[in-house]
Amino acid sequence: MSTTNSILEVRNISKTFDRVVKALDNVSIEIRRNEIISVVGENGAGKSTLMKILVGIYQPDSGEMYYLGRRIPFPKSPLDALRKGISIVYQERGVIPHLKVYQFLFLGLEEKFTKLGRLQLGKIIGLTQSIFEELGIKCDLASSMYELPPSVQKMVEIARAILSVKLMVEGDGESEVTPIIILDEPTAPLSTEERDALFNYLLNLKKSNSFIFVSHIIPEVMKFSDRIYVLRDGKVVAHHDLSSEKVTEDQLFREIVGRESYYSLWARYVYGVGKAEGKRVVLSVRNLTKKGYFENISFDLHEGECIGFFGPAGCGKSEIARALYGEIFADHGEIIMDGKHVKLKSEPYARIKIGIGYFSGETGKELFLFWPIRKNLSLVNFEKVCKKPLKIISVISFNAERALAEKIMKKLRIRAPSTETECYSLSGGNKQKVSVGKWLEKSPRVLILEDPTIGIDVGAREEIYEVLLEMKGNGIAMILASDDPKEYAILCDKIISLKNGVVQAIYTNEEFRRLMGL
Amino acid sequence: MTMAQVWVFREWLQRNLNTVIPVAGFIVLILGLRIANPYFLTSWDSLITLIYGTSWFLIAACGLTLVILMGSFDFSVPSVLKLSAMIFAILYPSLGFSSILVSVAVGLIFGFINGTLLARFNIPSFMATLATSMMAEGLAQVISGGYTRIITDPAFRAISTTMILGLPSIFYWAILIWAACLFLTFMTPFGRAIYAVGGNIVGARLAGINVKMVRTAVFMICALLASIAGVLYASQIQGAHMQVGVLDMIPLFASVVVGGTALTGGVGGIHRTLLGVLIIRWLDSGLSMLAIDLNVRMIIFGAIAITMAILTIDRRRIKIMK
Repeated sequence: MSTTNSILEVRNISKTFDRVVKALDNVSIEIRRNEIISVVGENGAGKSTLMKILVGIYQPDSGEMYYLGRRIPFPKSPLDALRKGISIVYQERGVIPHLKVYQFLFLGLEEKFTKLGRLQLGKIIGLTQSIFEELGIKCDLASSMYELPPSVQKMVEIARAILSVKLMVEGDGESEVTPIIILDEPTAPLSTEERDALFNYLLNLKKSNSFIFVSHIIPEVMKFSDRIYVLRDGKVVAHHDLSSEKVTEDQLFREIVGRESYYSLWARYVYGVGKAEGKRVVLSVRNLTKKGYFENISFDLHEGECIGFFGPAGCGKSEIARALYGEIFADHGEIIMDGKHVKLKSEPYARIKIGIGYFSGETGKELFLFWPIRKNLSLVNFEKVCKKPLKIISVISFNAERALAEKIMKKLRIRAPSTETECYSLSGGNKQKVSVGKWLEKSPRVLILEDPTIGIDVGAREEIYEVLLEMKGNGIAMILASDDPKEYAILCDKIISLKNGVVQAIYTNEEFRRLMGL
Repeated sequence: MTMAQVWVFREWLQRNLNTVIPVAGFIVLILGLRIANPYFLTSWDSLITLIYGTSWFLIAACGLTLVILMGSFDFSVPSVLKLSAMIFAILYPSLGFSSILVSVAVGLIFGFINGTLLARFNIPSFMATLATSMMAEGLAQVISGGYTRIITDPAFRAISTTMILGLPSIFYWAILIWAACLFLTFMTPFGRAIYAVGGNIVGARLAGINVKMVRTAVFMICALLASIAGVLYASQIQGAHMQVGVLDMIPLFASVVVGGTALTGGVGGIHRTLLGVLIIRWLDSGLSMLAIDLNVRMIIFGAIAITMAILTIDRRRIKIMK
């Protein structure tokens, strides 16, 4: 295995949690100079565990680590890993929003630029400038991190990881160190165009760095990696060198999930599309505007119809979804539900009452992670599990709650030991099913979906789609805001394309699919 | 024990630390006080003394527990308690028992102000209630002129000291209120909403909970209970004075966290507060029977409160208290 190019190699790593769960089983991977390798797998395949061992957050039960062919101990902490040349950029919450760009870039490295206790600000800003020039990052140095577009934030984060390695590494002083940067699902918050920009940036950086790219988005993995390791159930089930062999998306997909692709199953989902014509209008929106987010949005939503708002991140699609539910408030315009005006500043509880529901795939946003499944499912369905001994007093019946939870768990095939299992211990897909399950039971007139399948594996995705399509078939109208074009193709009858908060075009499902090449 | 058993036990202990500490603490406390003081809990009378010391405290602690469960804090509990006791004692000679209504109404107004400051104006409850506690304190000083009020009317005393089945009526009041709070938190949608707001406020709002209403209502319930505690306490001590409730904030807070309710909100419950109150109040009585100075006791309670806050706080969700 060991080529002259190899920088870092780990062999036969095993890691067991709680003495039962085998997260990694004899995993060996190798990182060579100037390449992007991908580690792909479903949620729970062991990707994050492996990365956490590489940066010293976990210690493996067994295994060996080699750096430039010499055996070294595993890093004890992220700082230790940094000294060995390994750094990580996390999926989210890596950025400190109110720091200036240069402050953030040098965060934690200030002591290297201090003279007589004073920070050499001029030197830092100068360095930032030259680093950004070298790496091709275009932004105003004086702006705060939160003002930058998400893709540029990511680039700055990556630049910071590289810089930290260069400043902290314990080299022998002679040979040039190649930093190894781990990117944990870096593209999750980005739109398609931003993803391309980020990848061009990475390809440029490849000349002097190596990247480990953790993802489950198959096309981008195929496009940008030199080699791919596929993890499944804690084992490396496949290793592809894309320079010497040809791999198809479908093949990779089968290796990841161990069964058939949903792209081939996809055809049968389309049945629900386009049947809403002539049905009653449930929700009408006229000239809805929120300054700086979206402008003059108007549409009619029919029973059993799904309208998708599509566009790059920041186009206003999520804000429209949130404004319809009252999480944020629109400035002016009209929202008319069943012929009655809805106050623009009414809170979500008032909107649920008139039959609007909201489901976000963001973990922990609307799910109570430390509650059992039972309580999460009954939260919007109290009227179904309460008895009223007196007119003003509602008493929760635990038996009714449990029965309700069992019913939903069985229907959605939520895999958990019991109705009392706390939600944080569930896998991503099962968490999402709990979130969607409460709305299935509630059965609102309009359900607003924001990234309903973000961050979950393909198998669970399929199951969520099935539930949503069933609800749609029952006449529930939906609004979708998401990142995945396939999701629109599966769920939506009508797709409204947005740019900077303004409607660009309205497509039917068929037109949209043709446009996207689906 | 084999290694596996040890490991399983450790795991269990870690998960149930919030329950194990109060229960074990209570047992150790009783044994310790019994050894240190041979007269501790030897007669029915000594039990009744302890009940007098514990009951009014439990009522106030129940209210504070609801607020802490919601992830907020109420500094004004002892001040509202004092103000209510004072109003009751001052107005009793002229209004009779209707003065209780005035006390309770004033308490509710304070609760409403606290809740509104948090819910409508987004002022952190720590700050808002610290300010309103000063207002209650000042008001009590103004209406009483700083003088102690003594009521000798036996009817005034009877509401807390009438003996029923060998125990004073204040015991039954306290248990009744405790049980009502227990019912409220565990069996009603409103109780679920309190836990929801404390556990994940964004999620609570999105799940259709009227967060502003819940916050205001909980602060009003807390102040209501503080008022009731004040009224019963005034009846028990036959009057009111400016020292009522002065050093009670830390013991109140300590009894809630000692029970195992986390300062971060959403974890714990009223049932735990009963044990917390017993530990704190009995420890207090035990120590004072051993002639340990009040100031030393305050040091002990401060230390206990902080230690338990550290042990029970949910480290996964540390955030600034609102």
